[in-house]
Parts: sequence; C-alpha cells; structure tokens
Amino acid sequence: MLPGTSLAQSAPDEGVIALRYYDYRDWQAGTDRISVRSPSLYALVPLSDTLTVEGSLVYDSVSGASPLYHDTVSGASGRGIGDYRTAADAKLTRYFGASAIAVGAAYSHEQDYLSRAASVEWRTWSADRNRTFAIGIGAAKDRINAVEGVNGPVLDQPRETYDYLLGITQVLDARSLVESSVTWSDGRGFYADPYKLHDTRPGRRRILAWLTHYNRYFPGPDATLRLAYRYIHDSFGDRSHMLEASWVQTLPEGFTLTPTLRYLTQSAASFYRDPPFPDGFVPGELYTADARLSAFGAVTLGLRLAKELPHGITADLAVNVYRQRGDWRIGRGSPGLAAFSARWIELGLSKRF
Amino acid sequence: MPWRYRFTAMASVHELQLSTSDRALADRVAAAAIADVRRIEARYSRYRADSVTSAINRAAGRAAVAIDAETASLLRYADRCHAQSGGRFDITSGVLRRAWDFKRRPPRIPLPAELDAARELIGWDRIEWSDTQVHLPQSGMELDFGGIGKEYAADRAAVICRDLGIVHALVNLGGDVRAVGPRADGSPWRVGIRDPRRDDATIASILLDDAAVATSGDYERYFEIGERRYCHLLDPRTGQPVSRWRSVSVAAPLAILAGSHATIAMLLERDAEAYLAPLGVSFLMVAQDGSLTVRDAGGASPAFVVSCAR
Repeated sequence: MLPGTSLAQSAPDEGVIALRYYDYRDWQAGTDRISVRSPSLYALVPLSDTLTVEGSLVYDSVSGASPLYHDTVSGASGRGIGDYRTAADAKLTRYFGASAIAVGAAYSHEQDYLSRAASVEWRTWSADRNRTFAIGIGAAKDRINAVEGVNGPVLDQPRETYDYLLGITQVLDARSLVESSVTWSDGRGFYADPYKLHDTRPGRRRILAWLTHYNRYFPGPDATLRLAYRYIHDSFGDRSHMLEASWVQTLPEGFTLTPTLRYLTQSAASFYRDPPFPDGFVPGELYTADARLSAFGAVTLGLRLAKELPHGITADLAVNVYRQRGDWRIGRGSPGLAAFSARWIELGLSKRF
Repeated sequence: MPWRYRFTAMASVHELQLSTSDRALADRVAAAAIADVRRIEARYSRYRADSVTSAINRAAGRAAVAIDAETASLLRYADRCHAQSGGRFDITSGVLRRAWDFKRRPPRIPLPAELDAARELIGWDRIEWSDTQVHLPQSGMELDFGGIGKEYAADRAAVICRDLGIVHALVNLGGDVRAVGPRADGSPWRVGIRDPRRDDATIASILLDDAAVATSGDYERYFEIGERRYCHLLDPRTGQPVSRWRSVSVAAPLAILAGSHATIAMLLERDAEAYLAPLGVSFLMVAQDGSLTVRDAGGASPAFVVSCAR
C-alpha cells in the first residue's frame, strides 16, 4: 500500500473532495463476464499549515463471476448472490521544514478476504527543492476465509506482507522531471486459489518492482508528455515489463484531453502449466493454471477528458479498453489461452475548497 | 464456463447461467427468458393495477372474472397445495399483510381484533372458480400468487432455454433454482444452501442435473421483538407467524414443486417432516436451535450434503 514518491513538499492550502464512479466489465470466450461497479469518495483536508489528513472510501459490487465454489445459492430471499468489497484508507501527513512524515492505514473487506495494512513514509528534499528522497515501510495482514473452498473450507489462513520503498524525484529543468522508485515486497502465507481444485503456490512471495516516470512539458502545444516504465521481478518466476505513454493536452475553455497507451509483456510463473491438466501430476506439487500467472502481452488504450468548472470544480470522464493475448507477449506467450478483454469507464467530480 | 445474466424482477435478484459456445444464442435466449419472467410479474403482481390478480381482487364481492388457461393452471396448483397442506397453504391469506407490517419500525404486533378482521377474509375453499373464471365471494378478499409465481417463472425460464436450444442452464429466481441438464462438462450444477442466519454463508450443497431446489425461510421478511422473531410466513388459521424452522429446502423435479413443498413444510411446523417424508423428495430443515434435519430421497434424486465447515 505504499504510495509513490511524488508527494507535495509542503502542506496543501486547499482541501479536496472527490467522488468517482467506476464501471468495469470484462469478457473472454467461454468464461463468465464480470462486472464491477464501484463508487468511491476521497477527501483531503488541511488541518493546519503543517498537517493534512486524507482518506477514501470505496464500495465495490461485483457481479458475474463470484469465485464461489457453488454455481449459485438457494435461499428464501433474492438477495446476496453478488460479491462485494468495502475498503477504506486514511493518511495523516505532517510537514516539517525540509521533510514530511506520512502515516497511513488501510482496510479492505470481502466475503472471503480481510486485509488490514499500515505504512509509514518519510521524505526529505534538497534546499532548492529540486530533489526529493523518500523511504517507506508498509505492513499488511490479510486473512483468507474461503468457506466454500473447492478442496474443503479454507479457514482463517493468514498472509503477511512487508513492503519497503526507496524513491527519488529529480527536477531536470523547468519543464521536466524524473521520478524513480524501487519497492521490495516480502510476503508469507496463503497464496493459492481456494476455488480451484488444483492450485498450489509457494508460501512465500517476494516481489521487486521498479517504477520510473518521466514528465515533460511542451509550451508550444501547451501539453505534457508522461512516460512510465515498470519492471517486476517476482519470486513466483514471472517477470514483466510495462511501458506507458500519456499526452496531457490542454484545450480551450478549461478542457484537458489525455490519450494513454500502455503495453505489458509478462512471462509465466515457474509453476504455471498451460491447460489441459498435465499428465503425471502429483497432488501437492506447485501448480497453477491461473491466467494471471501465464505468459501474455496486453495493451490498454485510454482516453480521459477533464474540464475545469467554476468554483474549483473539476469533472472528468475516462474510457479504457484492455486486451490481453498470449501471442502479444515479446517472446513466446502461453498457448491455448483465449484472448481476454475488458473495458472500464470512470466518472469523476472533484471540488477544491 | 456459462454466460451469466443478472436482472431484477419480482423484488428479487435473479440470475441465468447459460452454457453454450454461441454467445449470440445465449443473449437471445436470456432475453426471451427474462422477458417471460417480466411477463409473469406483470400478469400476477398484486402491486400492479393492470395485473390479472388486481382485476380479480377488485371484483371481489361483485362479479366473476374471466381467466385464461395459464391462470387456471396456477389456481389448480394452488388448490392442490391447499388440500395437501390441510389448508395451511392458502393463496387468499395475503390479507394478513393488512395486519402485519414487516417494514414498520419500530415493529408492532397486530391486535387480536385486527387479525380477526383479516382472518374473516381468508378461505380458499370459499372461492368459486373453474377453468374459465374465478369469483371471490366477499368484498375485501384477495388472491396472491406470491407463493408460487416465482417458482412457476423459474420453470418457464427453464422450458424457454430448452426450447430455444440451450441444454445446459441454471436458473436462479430469487433463490429458487432450476437446472436445465448438467453443466456443459457433464458434471452436475453445484448449488449452495444459504445459512438462514448469515447471508454470506452456506450450510449445505446439492448437486443438480435437470432438477430444482427451493428454500423457504424465516429470514426473508421479519421483525424481532425481544428474543422472538416474527416472520412473514403466517398460519392462516391463527394469523400468527410460524416459528418452528429457520428454513426448509426441498429438491424436486420442478421449482414450483420444490418451492411449495418448502413453504408448506415451514407452515406445518411440527408436522413438516411427516409431510415431506412420504413425498419422496430430498429435504434439509434448519430448526430454530440451528439443528439440521436432512433426508435423502435416494435413487436418482439429488441429495443435500451438509458443509463440513459448520
């Protein structure tokens, strides 16, 4: 749950309240269609010149593929077939002269999953404020309670993850900056999918993620180019590279249009096996057929339109489409996987005060 | 994996799962099945002024109302349930809702005089009906198809799926489940039975292949005063809520059978087991103390399997 490094160097003097509505739907030949609708609320409130508090609340309702063991449920009332998630987080930031400390907590609850997390982050900047260092540590304690697990109930299985972050932000010149961070995540506990008949994963997972952003402003078109690259090295054996480019174009009358293109290429986890189910499988050996751990390439196209309105109000609408295919990977993708597509729409309204 | 379609009607959430590689076919069949559920709701909802039910109820004490074959078949079925349940299952007992308000906060137990007034309007055996018309003899009497409409709609949806070429489907109308065939891979559909005291948990499973399961329970509409729960299932003889069982689930070839057997068992309270056992159906009953009564009909009938997680 560690945030990035791009944090303010002084307490903001304006508060923000934002409402977002997110609508997701995916499809794949021969599988369930999942749709998620989630409204969320975010607020940032400056408590004083040196202290701010911010927090958010999310409620997701998931319909379509609830990962339950049962195909459906018989009951005396028509409620409760769907899945839901509620999540909340809060962060308190205290600013000093040349540094700031942020303390955060997060909570997320689903029918079969409970997660609680806390984090502390300290950052400091140079006298000319052109360079910021950040260091952070986070811990998450999760509980998995899959009563309807396909191999019997999975009750109260723990998972503990510690995250460590190091980051730097460097202003290159008046128009560009680069920001880079490394996160090391070390988790122990239950990682398998309790809703799959055969799914055995290691009890420990370490992930190294390196994320770099480069932003450059172009005064001619009054636009900003944002580039991002992310590398992930996972002890499960999968590696991924993600490249993203956005063009934030200012338009007349307070409009901003941002097209985004993102490409991801990922290798499979070492214990991922393509369907069909392998011959000679020994129960208990590491095995997954989870498509998220397969080798694939994926492209996301996004377009966001935002408008500044009077009274500090900003409205925005974003549409994203995603497509994932085995043969879009650089190198060889996992064969035999149907292409997977998704789209999501976001509607946001925020007000500064 | 099947295509899933979720929709709301009859004040419940419904879901269709249709297994076919032909997405366009699944969409067409789902649209037809959903349209039929809405048709049945429009015809039989007592909340709609233009429904058949409202027309019959408005004419109570005045005139007979002409009915079609579909309505007559539902009346015949309701008549059979009335006879089998010794009068406990009575589609004229909806008038008790005038005395019992389950939405009112704080809750209130009706006065004996209020219940007496409502009970005077109950009596399926006083209804004059035939295959072509029905007449409620007393002004204020009402028919209510709520006890069988949803299950009937589930069976109709199953027929529509099969007629239009879907041979693997699972219909769940507000918790009443009807399976068309097995799953696409030939294995039976796996249906969980809701824990009557936890809406996010199940207490048992049943495997369905071309069969149905329905659950009736005290948790659909109720209020509590002190330790006592007052649920919406009312004994027409006393006007009082039943209290013996938290829920009863029954498996049967059709949803309408499963649903009415489950409701009758709830209404019969102490005599529930004696009613269900000779029917040759599998059932699962959860008593007020949480204890379970499970009966496997044997043969090819589906059987309830209680979760080991309990």
